[in-house]
Amino acid sequence: MRFALKPGHVVLLLFFIAAALLPLFVDPRGHLLRVAAMALLFAAMAQSWNIVGGLANQISLGHAAFFGLGAYTSTLLFLRLGISPWIGMLAGAMVAGIAAALLSVPTFRLKGHYFALATLAFAEVLRVIANSWADLSGGPVGLTVPFLGTQPLSFAFRAVSSYYWIILALLVIVCVVFYVLAHGAMGYRLRAVRENEAAAEVAGVNTFRVKLVASVISAALTAMCGTVFAQFTFFFDPDSIFSLSGISVRMAMIAIVGGLGTLGGPIIGALFLIPLEEVANAYLSSRAAGLSQLVFGLILIAAILIQPRGIMAFFPKSRVKTPPKAQPATEGARG
Amino acid sequence: MIQALVDGILLGGVYGVISTGLSLVFGVLGVVNFAHAEFLMLGMYVAWFAWRMLGLDPLLGSVLSFIIVFAVGYGVQRLLIQRVLKAPPAAQVFLTVGLMIVIENAALIAFGSDFRSVSVPYQVEGYRLAGIFISAPYLYAFIAAVVLSLALWLFLERSWSGRAIRAVAQDPMASTLVGVDTKRTYGFAFGLGVGLTAFGGAVILPYITVSPTVGGQFVVLMFTVVVLGGLGSVTGALVGGLVVGIVQSMSALFFPIQLQNLFLFVIFIAVLALRPQGLIKGA
Repeated sequence: MRFALKPGHVVLLLFFIAAALLPLFVDPRGHLLRVAAMALLFAAMAQSWNIVGGLANQISLGHAAFFGLGAYTSTLLFLRLGISPWIGMLAGAMVAGIAAALLSVPTFRLKGHYFALATLAFAEVLRVIANSWADLSGGPVGLTVPFLGTQPLSFAFRAVSSYYWIILALLVIVCVVFYVLAHGAMGYRLRAVRENEAAAEVAGVNTFRVKLVASVISAALTAMCGTVFAQFTFFFDPDSIFSLSGISVRMAMIAIVGGLGTLGGPIIGALFLIPLEEVANAYLSSRAAGLSQLVFGLILIAAILIQPRGIMAFFPKSRVKTPPKAQPATEGARG
Repeated sequence: MIQALVDGILLGGVYGVISTGLSLVFGVLGVVNFAHAEFLMLGMYVAWFAWRMLGLDPLLGSVLSFIIVFAVGYGVQRLLIQRVLKAPPAAQVFLTVGLMIVIENAALIAFGSDFRSVSVPYQVEGYRLAGIFISAPYLYAFIAAVVLSLALWLFLERSWSGRAIRAVAQDPMASTLVGVDTKRTYGFAFGLGVGLTAFGGAVILPYITVSPTVGGQFVVLMFTVVVLGGLGSVTGALVGGLVVGIVQSMSALFFPIQLQNLFLFVIFIAVLALRPQGLIKGA
C-alpha cells in the first residue's frame, strides 16, 4: 500500500481540521454544535456501513442491530457493574463483532435482496428481545444514562464540545480503517468479491473470510458509534435504537446519497442530510407529525432516481472508484 | 390443540392472500417490494372509509380496496419502480424502502395516528362445531381469502392478461417478441400484487384495528410467508401462509405472546440460510 496524497485527500484533511476548530467559534453548549456532532456521528455510522455495503456490496438493512448492541452493552455494564463506558465501548465492539460473525454463518451465501431481508430480520429479533426480556434490557421503557457532570473517565462531560471532539476522533478512526481496507490487499479482495464472486473464488480469494472480516469490522465500529450515541443522548429505548427507518436505513441512505463505496461519500451525505433533517424537523414537525419523515423518504427516492451513485459523482476530480455494477436480477434462488 | 390448528388455518389463509402479491411482484418484476405491507394498510383505510361513509361491510369494501389500491400500484410501478428494474439491487431495495417511509408518513398526516376499527354485527359471534369454536369474522375473512385465491388462480391460468404476466415472468424478451406490452404487464402485475394485499387488509378489518403503522406488524410476517413458499411462487405463498398461521397459533400455546414474532424471525432466518429457494417447490 503506497500512500499518495491526492486532491481529494487534501480536501478531507482540511475538512477534519476545520471540523476540529468549529467548537472554538460557536457556542460550546449550543444547539448548532449538537447538530454538527450528530452529523459527524451519522457520518461515522454510514462509513462503518460503507465497509460492508460499499466495498463488499452486501446491502445490510440491519446495522441497527450492532448499533443497539454497542449502546446496550456499554450502558448495561455501567449501570449494573459500574464499568466505565470507555471499556464498555470496547466490550460492545466485541459483542457486535461476535454477533456479526455468527450472523455471517447463515447469511454469507445470500446476496442482494436476500441478504437485506436476513439482516433486517436480525435487527428485528434483537428489538423484540430487548422489548420482552426486561430483566436484562430494561424492557420497552429504555435505559437512561445517569448525568454525572464532567467525569472524563466515565465518559461524561458537561460541554457538548467534548462529545463533539470524541465523535470527530471516532469519525477519523472509521475513515482511516475504511481507507486502509479499501486500498490494502483486503480492498482488492473485497472489490473482487463485489464484481464477481465466483471469479474471485476461482482466483484464490477466500470469499467467506473476506466478507466475514469486513462485516466484523463494520459491526464493531458501528457498535462503538452506538456507545457514543448512548453517552451523548443519555437515553435510548429498543424501538428507537433498533429502528429500521431511524438507524438501519438512515446509515445506508447517507452512504448512498453521498456516494456508495467512496471515502468521502458518507461524510458528504451526513453533512447534507442530517442538517436538512434538522431544519425539516424544526419547520415541519409543528405543522403535521410525520411530515419531516415524509420529506426524508422523498429525498431517498429522488436520490436513487436522479443519481444512484450519489453526490460524489458530481465531483469530476474525486474519481468515484468503480461504481457498483448492475447485477443480473436473477441472482440467488428464484422460485 | 385442534382448536389452535383451526385458528391457525383461518389466520393462515388470510396470510397467504396478503403475501401472495409480494411473491407475484418478485416473480414477475424481480423486485422485492419492502413497501408491500404499506399497501395492506392503504387497503384497510379504504375499507374503513367505505364502512364509515357508505356503510359497506369490510367484506364488500374489500372489492373497493382492491380496485383503488390496484390503481395506485399501477401508477407507482409505471412512475417509480419501472425506472429501477435494471438497476442494481441496492437501488431497488432503497427505492421501495423510501416508498415505505413515504406511504406510512403520508397516511400519518392524512389520517392521524388514531387506531380505527369497524363494528359489524357478526364481530363477536361464532359457530360451535364438535367442541371447536370458530369465530365468525375469522371464518368470513378466510372464506373471502379462499375465494380470491381461486379467482387469482383462474385469472393467471385462463385469462390472456394472466398468461401475459406469466410469460413476462419467464422471459420478458420473448414476450415482447410475441406482442406482449411488457411495461404495461409489469404495471398490471404490480397493481395486482398490491391490490391482493389491500383486499386481504380489508377482510381482516373486523378483527384488526388500522393505524398508519399497522404495516410494520405484517412486514416480517409477509416475508416469512413468501420465503417459506419460495420467493416468486404464488401457490408457495398460499401454502406458506397456512404454515405460518398454524405455527403462530400453535406457538401461542407454549410461548408468551411477545415471543410469537421472535419465533417467526428465527424460522425466517433459518429458511433463508438453509433453503432460500423455499420449502415448497411450486409454480
